[in-house]
Order: sequence, then structure tokens, then C-alpha cells
Amino acid sequence: MKTNDLIGTLGKRAAPIARLPSPWRRVILWLAIALPYIAMVVIVVQPRADIGDKIFEYRYLIEQFAAITTALTAAVAAFVSTIPGHNRKWLFAPAAPLALWLASLGQGCIQTWLQFGNSGLTFKPDWICFPSILLAGTVPAIAMVVMLRRGAPLTPHLTLGLGALAAAALGNFGLRFFHMQDASLMVLFWQLGSVFLISAIAGTYGKRVLTWRHMGAAA
Amino acid sequence: MQIDQARQLADLMCAAQDGDQQAYIQLLTEITPLVRNTVRARRRFLQNQDIEDITQDILLSLHTVRATYDPKRPFLPWLMAITRHRMADAARRDIRRAANETLVEFLPETFLEDETNILGETYRDPEALKQAIGKLPSGQRNAVEMLKLREMTLKEASALSGKSISSLKVSVHRAIITLRNILKTGA
Repeated sequence: MKTNDLIGTLGKRAAPIARLPSPWRRVILWLAIALPYIAMVVIVVQPRADIGDKIFEYRYLIEQFAAITTALTAAVAAFVSTIPGHNRKWLFAPAAPLALWLASLGQGCIQTWLQFGNSGLTFKPDWICFPSILLAGTVPAIAMVVMLRRGAPLTPHLTLGLGALAAAALGNFGLRFFHMQDASLMVLFWQLGSVFLISAIAGTYGKRVLTWRHMGAAA
Repeated sequence: MQIDQARQLADLMCAAQDGDQQAYIQLLTEITPLVRNTVRARRRFLQNQDIEDITQDILLSLHTVRATYDPKRPFLPWLMAITRHRMADAARRDIRRAANETLVEFLPETFLEDETNILGETYRDPEALKQAIGKLPSGQRNAVEMLKLREMTLKEASALSGKSISSLKVSVHRAIITLRNILKTGA
């Protein structure tokens, strides 16, 4: 097809379109879908018995703060990555809360070791973390994918990885309301590890989920 | 590009998002040389046809994601980001394709019959073959065109030409011998 003919065809198909909202408005919309779902999961599974005490514990609050800010910044970064020409510095936004999250858990591990020695750093299987985060993060993940597909798939692997990080971090935020596992080493490996694993797996499928959907008839 | 021109393109894009087809055609017409020159500048080794393919791919991509343009932001960085990424995608596609292909100077033999290997043995120039076919007697030329170029079945060719299947087979056989002689001698 000649380029002039293609231009003519594209021109004929130029119907009015709804502009994509800004990344921050999209994050708010995403949270409006995701947070009620997380709350529902917590209520159905039932909050942990000690939640009344936990919310006054500074380490728990820091880790929850880090989880939710990781989710928020990763969501912003994912939405920004689908807008051509947008400031790419936003892609690094999740780095700071992730560092805080890792630092807090790391500090917890060190503190436990200093207090109790090697016996304090017990490591046990906690396989329930992975499916629990998946459960808590399912609707946020689906909403995220639907919203990301409206953008431009410029960097599909990175975009989907960031989107998955947002959903998984939010899922972990919800998990800590009903899963009684606070040992830093366990949280670091099983929960944060699950978040990273989910993000990495999702990222590998980026090109299959986020594709350029051209007008086949115009070619 | 002048600021006024950049502003004009942004205004055309806004109008296009609102459904103004003429504005959209004008926008695409004005940015096509810019996109083409960008591709040519960064991919000097590409043939003109490949440059045109990538240019069209970029225009299609722009059409697909035109909802992502924010009128509060400048238009050219938006356009150039799409251009850069689609060029990178095209390069990755070419690398993947080349990884599964082996370029050879001579095409390998495909079938046992001599007739099927005429192409690999006796010519490299499609234009020479085309001219040689033109020099064939009309009966042989028609048989070659129907059976070899248009890849019709013997039944279809027989129905179209009114000749019997065996007559067509003889014509093709004679045509291939004639073609081989023409291409060898250059006559």
C-alpha cells in the first residue's frame, strides 16, 4: 500500500476518541476499584486477631506504608510508561519505597539476630503467602491490565512488570491484615519474594498482553 | 522545526482527536516526511522500501494510540517517542528474522526433476527470465504462465486454454528446454 493511500484510509477512520486521563487520575481510578476488593477479601478471610495491637506497632506501620507506597508509585510508573514522550524519571518512582521496604525488613532481621542469635532467624515454609497475595491482588491485577491496554505498548515487559508490582504490593498490603506472619526474615522471603516473583513472571509476558493492535484492514 | 509549526501540529492533533478527518489527514501528511527522514537518518543502511514500511508502521501506531496524546503536552516529543520505539521494534524483528534465515548465493535444489532446478542453475536475474519467457512461442509461453507463474492446476489450465492436459505438459516441457537454451546463450 502506498503511504498516501494509507493516510487517506486512516483519515476516513478518524472518529472522535476519548483522551486518556493523566496517570495520577488513572491511579485514583485503579485504587477506587482495587481497595474495596482488598477490604472485602480481608473481611471475608477475617482480620488477624491481633490487628488492634498491630496498627500501633511502628515496624508494622512502616512496612505497610512501604507496601502501599510501592503499589502507588509502581502504578504511576506503569501508567506513565504507556504515554509516549512522558517524563521517564517516573519509572524509577517505586525504587524509594521498595528500598524502604527492604531496609525495614532487613533491619528487622538484624535486630532479631542481635536479640536472639541464629535461633531467632528461623526459616519455615510459608507457601500460603504466594496464593494469598495472588488472591488479594487478582482484581487489582485485572483492572491494571485492562487500563494499561488503553495506553501505548512502548515497553511492554517493563510496563506489565510495574503493573504486576503495583498489584502484588497492594495484595501484600492486604495480606498483612489477615496473615499472622511478622518475622522479618519470613516476610522478606515469602511475602516480598512473592511480590518480586509475580512481577518478574508478569514482565516476561509483557509482549503477549500489551500489543500494538493495528487496523489490519488498513495494511 | 519552528515553534509555530510545532504548535500547528499540536492543534491538528487535537482536532483529529475530536474527529476532524481533514485535520487528521493534514497532520499525517505533514508529519510523514519528518518521520521518514528520522528513520532514514537513523537507519542509513535500509532500502527505501524498508524505510517506507517502517514509516507506515509508525503512522499506524500513531493512529492506534492517538488517545494517549495530552493537548497540554508538546506534540513532537510524543511523536518522536512513538517513532523511536517502533524503529527499535522493527530492528528487533529484523534481528529475529535474520537469526532464523541463512543467506545463500545459490538456491539449493528442491526436487529431483531437472525442470524444477532451472532457476538455481541457469539464472540469477528475474528480469532476464521474464524477457526469456517473452521470447517463447505463444503456446509455450501461455503454458508457462498458467502452470508455473499463476500456479494453476492442469485441469484449470486445460479448461481455460482449451488444450488437453497432455498437450499442456508437452508445451511446458518444451518451454523449459527453450528457456534453458535462451538463458544459457543469452539470445
